[in-house]
Amino acid sequence: MKPPAGTPTPPAGTLRPAELRPLPYRLRWRPEGIFPGAHPGRGEGAEGEFRRHVSLLRQPDPRRIDLRVSLRDPHGELHVRQFAPRRTVPVAALVDLSGSMRFGETVPQRVAELCAVLALSAVRSADSFGLFGCDAGVNAAASLPFSRRRGLEQEVHERLAAARPQGAGAAGLFEAAERLPGRRALVFLVSDFLMPAGDIDRLLDALWRHDLIPVIVRDGAVEENLPRWGLIELGDLETGAARLVFMRPALRARWVQAAHERRRALGALFARRGLRPFDLTDTLDTDALAERLMEG
Amino acid sequence: MTAVFAVWEGLSRGWGVDHPLLLWLLPLALLPLVATAFRRRGIPSATLVPDDPLSRAMAAGLRAAGTFAILALVLGIAGLHRREQSVQREGNGAHLVLLLDRSSSMDNSFADRAPTGDQESKSAAAKRLLAEFVARRPHDRIAVAAFSTSPMPVLPLTDHHEVVQAAIDAIDRPGLAFTDVGRGLALAFSYFADDTAEASRAVLLVSDGAALIDRRVQDALRDAAARTPVHLYWLFLRSRGARGIYDVPASGDDTAQANPERHLHLFLQSLGVPYRAFEATSPQAVAEAITEIDRQETQPIRYIERIPRRDLAHPAFLIAGLAVVLLLAAKLAERRLRPAAASSATPAANPAKPSPAGPAPATDPRRAA
Repeated sequence: MKPPAGTPTPPAGTLRPAELRPLPYRLRWRPEGIFPGAHPGRGEGAEGEFRRHVSLLRQPDPRRIDLRVSLRDPHGELHVRQFAPRRTVPVAALVDLSGSMRFGETVPQRVAELCAVLALSAVRSADSFGLFGCDAGVNAAASLPFSRRRGLEQEVHERLAAARPQGAGAAGLFEAAERLPGRRALVFLVSDFLMPAGDIDRLLDALWRHDLIPVIVRDGAVEENLPRWGLIELGDLETGAARLVFMRPALRARWVQAAHERRRALGALFARRGLRPFDLTDTLDTDALAERLMEG
Repeated sequence: MTAVFAVWEGLSRGWGVDHPLLLWLLPLALLPLVATAFRRRGIPSATLVPDDPLSRAMAAGLRAAGTFAILALVLGIAGLHRREQSVQREGNGAHLVLLLDRSSSMDNSFADRAPTGDQESKSAAAKRLLAEFVARRPHDRIAVAAFSTSPMPVLPLTDHHEVVQAAIDAIDRPGLAFTDVGRGLALAFSYFADDTAEASRAVLLVSDGAALIDRRVQDALRDAAARTPVHLYWLFLRSRGARGIYDVPASGDDTAQANPERHLHLFLQSLGVPYRAFEATSPQAVAEAITEIDRQETQPIRYIERIPRRDLAHPAFLIAGLAVVLLLAAKLAERRLRPAAASSATPAANPAKPSPAGPAPATDPRRAA
């Protein structure tokens, strides 16, 4: 993997732009706000997609008088054009940077890639994108304020590639939930959700206002691709507690079963709140993500 | 400081090492409690792993194996050994003094002439039979004394039967002149003076004749007999023609000068200690007498058994080797989790498409690498 001479060595976590394509996304709700954007907004607006004509008395906006329709009206009423506004929506990615996310270089690779795609998609849709990397608090080095500038995806990728997940707990996620804008936003909650169910519940409560898409980071290495025989010494990446595991087919079956149970419980927890999580498995599946985003 | 030393002495009474300074390495045995032979693999959460008692047991076992390996290695290098020890045991036997006559008449045969052909001298017969006797009684403490013109201490009371056998071996050396039984007996009694064990004590007097006992020596013997209760056996090797100890001579001849054997017998009877005399006129009779003594002197006895130093370095190295083999096997059985990122670090190379995503380098450096 040594670069040939002459080629500048890329900095760690350089984005692969060839694989980065913006994904369209839809909302099932109408965003509020004032900035013109790509998503059908709420209320009547002065610009955007034409909706209907109403009388001037109903909408006293003489700048939008449609002369042609008004002249054609036998009653001589003045008609004003009404438009359906298109608004922007803030898109936020809350990335869990607790110690457990250190497993298997998840954050510098898959999560960074996912967030870069989201940032690119948001910028292309004229939406603002904000990144919140959360360990014990919101980690400023791994966060970006809401912005819609060009090249944002590169910055997002760099920040996450340089992030060192550490610490235990989800306190940072709660802090980030408070920092989100007051209006409804599209929020991606990227985590392995290995925290206690009570914590997940409270976190989802804190994010009630927003359109939440939980992104479950999972790794086949700890769920399916387990060795059949052998000894593994495992250390909890958050607490540091170490234990030796004697792998054998019976234990492997129990392990896989437990992983299955946990996944089902997590699915049930999200389903109770009407959330449909997206699984970030071993590689980022852009097609599945696009499908999920288009469903709204 | 002295208290610490005393405790250490108490602990190490039975055990010892050749190089005590190496014992400072013993704290290394705590290493396996903090370190491990395995590379620790991170896992997002320990709760992912199902609880498994067998794994916990193996973990504890491997830690113990590491500790044992280091302990055994250090002890082995330091030269652990079990010191020579003396253990008190119970057996049947007695404390026995063999009091042997070394007068020149012992060199004669039972026919009272120089032994010829297949004849056995009295001392040779006594030697052979006593050697067998001692060999039959492994738990006895035996002392050997001889007397002739004067008493000769040969061996104090001892457990070392090889020495006793050697002393018995020497009694058929050519003898000396006279027979002074009295002082020989006094010497034999004196052997028990500082013997405080609760064993049965016996003096076995082997002689082929007797002599007058000085009156002062008689008094001393009575004193000694009163102080130290012993069993007294007299094995009288009677030559042909010699007077027996039970023969009562005609009146007028019954003086100590004329019949020293008979009068010695009477004197010994008068000592007030259990006493038996065996009159043997042939090697067979001697054997019978000794068998009888053997049968009589079988009291329970406490005796000290010596256990020689035992080197424990080899067993220590064996234990260390086994523990290390166990650890090695475990290490060889080590596996690791394969995170997806590690296994798919190089994604499938699809042709580089012109990117719609803003200004980008023309080629992907990572793929070029």
